[in-house]
Amino acid sequence: MELETDKAVVEVPSSVSGTIKEILVKEGDKIKVGQVIFTADNNGAAAVAEPARKAEPSSKGATATPVQSPSGERAAAATKLQPSSPVAPTSQSAPQPTRATGPVAASEFRLQELGENISEGELVRLMIAPGVKVSEGQPVMELETEKAVVEVPSSVSGVVNEVKVKEGEKIKVGQVIFTLQGSASSPTEAVRPARGPVEHVSGQHGARLAFQAAIRAEGKTEEQALPPDQPRPHPAAFSMPAQLGKVAGTEHREAVPAAPHTRRLAREIGVDVYEVKGTGPGGRISEDDVKAHAKALVTAVAAAAQAPPRAGHFIEPKLPDFAKWGKIERVSMRGVRRKTAEHLAESWNTIPHVTQQDRADITELEQLRARFAPKAEQAGGKMTVTAIALKVCAAALKVFPQFNATIDMEEEEIIYKQYIHIGVAADTDRGLLVPVIRDVDKKNIVELAVELSQLSQKARDKKITLAEMEGGTFTITNLGGIGGTGFTPIVNHPEVAILGLSRSRTEPEWIAGKFEPRLILPLSLSYDHRLIDGADAARFLRWVAEAFEQPFLLSVQG
Amino acid sequence: MNETLITPLDGTPEDAEKLRIAVVGGGPGGYAAAFLAADLDMQVTLIDPEANPGGVCLYRGCIPSKALLHVAKLIEESQQSKNWGIEFPPPKIDLARLRTWKESVVKKLTGGLGQLSKQRHVEYIQGRAAFDNSTTLRISKTDNSEVVLSFDRIILATGSRPAIVPVFKLDSPRLMDSTGALNLEDIPGSLLVVGGGYIGLELGSVYAALGTRVTVVEMLPGLLPGADRDLVLPLHKRLEKMFAAILLNTTVASLKEDGGGIRATFEGTAVQEKDREQTFDRVLVSVGRKPNSEIPGLHTTQVHVGPRGFIEVNKQLQTADPAIYAIGDVVGEPMLAHKASHEGRVAAEAIAGHKVAFEPNAIPAVVFTDPEVAWCGLTETQAEKEKREIKVAKFPWGASGRAVTLDRPDGMTKLIVDPHTERVLGVGIVGAGAGELIAEGVLAIEMAALASDIAMTIHPHPTLSETVMESAEVFFGTSTHVFRPKHG
Ligand SMILES: Cc1cc2nc3c(=O)[nH]c(=O)nc-3n(C[C@H](O)[C@H](O)[C@H](O)COP(=O)(O)OP(=O)(O)OC[C@H]3O[C@@H](n4cnc5c(N)ncnc54)[C@H](O)[C@@H]3O)c2cc1C
Repeated sequence: MELETDKAVVEVPSSVSGTIKEILVKEGDKIKVGQVIFTADNNGAAAVAEPARKAEPSSKGATATPVQSPSGERAAAATKLQPSSPVAPTSQSAPQPTRATGPVAASEFRLQELGENISEGELVRLMIAPGVKVSEGQPVMELETEKAVVEVPSSVSGVVNEVKVKEGEKIKVGQVIFTLQGSASSPTEAVRPARGPVEHVSGQHGARLAFQAAIRAEGKTEEQALPPDQPRPHPAAFSMPAQLGKVAGTEHREAVPAAPHTRRLAREIGVDVYEVKGTGPGGRISEDDVKAHAKALVTAVAAAAQAPPRAGHFIEPKLPDFAKWGKIERVSMRGVRRKTAEHLAESWNTIPHVTQQDRADITELEQLRARFAPKAEQAGGKMTVTAIALKVCAAALKVFPQFNATIDMEEEEIIYKQYIHIGVAADTDRGLLVPVIRDVDKKNIVELAVELSQLSQKARDKKITLAEMEGGTFTITNLGGIGGTGFTPIVNHPEVAILGLSRSRTEPEWIAGKFEPRLILPLSLSYDHRLIDGADAARFLRWVAEAFEQPFLLSVQG
Repeated sequence: MNETLITPLDGTPEDAEKLRIAVVGGGPGGYAAAFLAADLDMQVTLIDPEANPGGVCLYRGCIPSKALLHVAKLIEESQQSKNWGIEFPPPKIDLARLRTWKESVVKKLTGGLGQLSKQRHVEYIQGRAAFDNSTTLRISKTDNSEVVLSFDRIILATGSRPAIVPVFKLDSPRLMDSTGALNLEDIPGSLLVVGGGYIGLELGSVYAALGTRVTVVEMLPGLLPGADRDLVLPLHKRLEKMFAAILLNTTVASLKEDGGGIRATFEGTAVQEKDREQTFDRVLVSVGRKPNSEIPGLHTTQVHVGPRGFIEVNKQLQTADPAIYAIGDVVGEPMLAHKASHEGRVAAEAIAGHKVAFEPNAIPAVVFTDPEVAWCGLTETQAEKEKREIKVAKFPWGASGRAVTLDRPDGMTKLIVDPHTERVLGVGIVGAGAGELIAEGVLAIEMAALASDIAMTIHPHPTLSETVMESAEVFFGTSTHVFRPKHG
């Protein structure tokens, strides 16, 4: 969260990890050091986060406290709540309007798409006025949408002629915000199609682009705008006792071009002011420079966290000598097993996993399957639950495109794929292989059944090619043939979700006042919580379950 | 569901209890630390042998010396006024009254500090402190009783004392250190000042003004070692007129009681044979100061004392013993009151848990002679030693209207500027009132001001402060009152 103190707006990092259970503050609240911010589920133990002490003469000193779980018992697993650095990754990358990629001659600026399902926002702050020069990328207003307050950058450059909106007004996508002086060209801005379904630009990324645009507008290179620091000569050893203005015994660094207040701010938010690039005259470091540096640091830290050491290459604790306790055999793990180990470790380390469980009543679906079975057999395939699941998932992915996406942390973008290729985990004697069926949404159930049978056979016969296992956008894994009532599959990175099917069994279901024997299929959906919220996952899986339960919809589609 | 959490203050068992702090030494470092700690809601005990806080600075340092220097300046000006058509008879000096006045200044200020301690509920114990362990002090009170008290944190601000060189160990009332000189027992006919640092020159000036023939010996080739030579030069010229002699590159080989005075033997190439031995009514030894780090029982703590006797501290002024902080003269150069106070405040805040550090960009130094010499930040001498590229812009006071109205054109203001960023890295001033003027330089450096910032700031006319602005204009070659034809 961001906190406004009397010093500055600071980003407060969480000092606990886990899934947020309950948020106990709201925006606009005054928050005291020590106040509980949210409770989190942390390996079963609940933890509370509280703001760490701010260096304020007025703030009562407060640091770590023993934390208590909501039930009142000591939460042994709760970590000490002292953030190492009071700056945190902005977890909510607010949806931002799409931005122009190059300078465009335009006579007006219209509000562009703000993000998924957001068609309007309230104008909270206007940053331009008639006669003001704007350049592409420069923030022109703050808009409050249902999701967040976003800064809207201009996608045009020129001098503002007329501002067509007022603070407090609700503004719709496509609405004209301001016009430019003396530009005769057509409003290209308004008609330019948005790239992809939605492009998310985070605050920092936006700020960087804005900065680049601004210095481009000034005709400077980034190097000129941000001259590299002067090399600092080695501090001279203190020698002359009469020399004043230097402190003996303390490590002495050359004076940094930042005012005492700015240096104190840096110290308080954990930034080494000597590392900060000053954007002021003569390289003077402003408060904003310090904050920008802090943000950049956080991004770097977040990026580093997102890119752990190469999967499978972690430094693992040394193994004991098992032979001490009995006979052992060492077998090479090269090949599929090693690949699997590496890949799954990478997935596990990259993706914050959550698994959603649900059940589908497939009594009716069984009848459908029986009906299609001969057809499929004729075509050389087998009508399995997996084949039907392919069809169901393809339909679901169209409704929920974020399950058919990939996160690009480096670019701070989400990549939505406009094709649906679904991998199906196949258990072979070489290990786990995942052949991918392409364009699942464009194929009917019989075609899918046939292709699945063929690919699975190829996998088992070791005839499958690498190309046939690439390009998946989603994965299905069916352990029902073996048994089980549910499991937590690992997302197949860089995909963002995987559906696991367990053994279906006949269970008594309470229907219309009596128990009826129904065939129930357990569903387990693991997903990347960075991209997918819990509620969306629940909705997605419910949608899938209902699709299984109303097979006529599928049969209509063939 | 979720209980409101009560968080205890860092390091204390109960949050209701205030942090207990002891400050050992009531000088400008100690009382500044004690007062801020009290303001930050700590329970503070301040320990010093004097009746009131003040330390060296108020009792036998900055304050009494400045009071006497004010008198010296008046005497000097009353003589200079001859040039302006105003003639005074030679001054009649009532030494007892002068001493009383000086002491009243000290009393007023130290009494005020005692008052401020009471108002802040700082417990003031008159006595000397020794360590029983890292957090326990055994205090021998001036009334001969003893108390043993425990604290959460202890700040050492024990200051410094005049250094004594073995050669000068002489049991003679004629031999003085700065404290003795400030006592002003008499106006000696002749005075030898050993050491050409600021204390020697300041006190030498006082005695010279009162009518004493003053000789200064300095081992190094110049007065005020460490200061830029161009700043020292106008002072040197004036002192040459005021003093009987200034002997540079000269050491004192011996001092001997000799009936009516102290006979000194000098060594050094600059000394002429006939001057090798001279007798003085009094001798002031001002060859530096030694930190008071020999605090009884200090070995029971983890405090580390460095090779030159300074207590070692980090940027939070914390010693190697986490419960003990140290500030002021006892932790290192520059041994100046304002450095001590600033450190005291940093230590108090650090103890309060604030993220602070003693990291000034500039510490001003002022020599209160006439003319005064003041500087801050980078000096030319230092830049040369560090091989740093700098540009120096100087404004001579001969071009300052104000300096001329004061009949004091013997001054100069200079800026030391980074040629690439044009940032002001250092400021040096010599001239009447330079000590007051230097504050602008300190602010400029702390704010990372550029030469243009200073040049474009309107300064009041006619004041000496204009010399700061005009030196910045000199940097750009556009000073109003200095014409430098452009070359080539
Ligand atoms: C003649 C002269 C002129 C000066 N002029 C200036 C000037 O113009 N400007 C300037 O900035 N500086 C000047 N100084 C220097 C200035 O006085 C010191 O830098 C300053 O006083 C240091 O402050 P402090 O708090 O570190 O210690 P001090 O002022 O030295 O105070 C330390 C105190 O601690 C007490 N103490 C020591 N041990 C114990 C103990 N065990 N228990 C209890 N109390 C103890 C001492 O008695 C003393 O009172 C001058 C010094 C002298 C001698």
